Amino acid sequence: MQNLITGFIMLALTICLYIVYLRKNKSKLNKILRKGTNNLTKNSIRIFAIFLIIGILQNFLTKESVGGFLLKFSGIKGIFAGIAVGSIMMGPIATGYPICSYLLQNGATISLISSFLAAWVMIGFISISLEFRYFGWKFTVVRNIFALISIIVISLLMEAII
Amino acid sequence: MKKIFEEYMVEIIILVLAIILIFFNSTKLSLALKYALTMYFNLFLIILSVAFLSGFISEAIPPNLIAKILGKENGFKGILIGAIFGTFMIGPTYVFYALFKSLIDKGAGKNVIATTIGAWAIKVQWIPFAIAILGWKFVFIFNLLIFLYAIASGYVIGLSTK
Repeated sequence: MQNLITGFIMLALTICLYIVYLRKNKSKLNKILRKGTNNLTKNSIRIFAIFLIIGILQNFLTKESVGGFLLKFSGIKGIFAGIAVGSIMMGPIATGYPICSYLLQNGATISLISSFLAAWVMIGFISISLEFRYFGWKFTVVRNIFALISIIVISLLMEAII
Repeated sequence: MKKIFEEYMVEIIILVLAIILIFFNSTKLSLALKYALTMYFNLFLIILSVAFLSGFISEAIPPNLIAKILGKENGFKGILIGAIFGTFMIGPTYVFYALFKSLIDKGAGKNVIATTIGAWAIKVQWIPFAIAILGWKFVFIFNLLIFLYAIASGYVIGLSTK
């Protein structure tokens, strides 16, 4: 539902931009539309492939299997296990919260839950290939390594504060 | 043909994996396909707007305009705009990569884009749900730390892409 609302707002905004701009520059219409259609095909193929791989992964990564695996770890090892599993997990984070509540009920540490959630939203193991192709290797490597370090710091801070 | 292969290498690998999966477990693949299609249609309006918005940006917007607002030289202001934008936007980040790419091509700073991607990890729309499961203290501090990480991430990328 929220995606639909955001989509509508973005679409309305885009159409307004097109109308305002093209009133003055009619000759460019074709060129812009061709570029847009090109983008749509290209992006759709890439994004659909990612959705497909998320769909395949979700079949194997159930709440119990992920939770059960993570519960074997705690402390620093827990943080790293959280990062490893969290970066593979993709899709809406809402599906991550039930896993967290399962973890909490079974006595997982705060740092493990933090690192798992943070890695889920901050590192996309699968989308890295896309990031690399759009922004280059340097951007991708630096950003993701920094994210990795930040997740460790965030998890330690969370453990200390809460 | 070679060009197509180079451009869509990752997607082709995913396709091959999916075909292999048919032989092992076709129910799981059909579930995955169903998931991918649902996600795609769910986000279609956003995907459509992103494609035509990036087409518009790359063909119609003068470079100095983007550079002035989101350029690297705009310093903290640009990063703050990125952080706020990223915090409140919803949908998967990688759907927006094409848009970010066209902004970078028009002079937006990579630091601003890194902050935007970083702040995207704050999932505003799921916060009420997260509080119900993890408690407000956890959610508040966790998201505050992610916001700080996003801003720091912009500076790290800024330094590395000098």
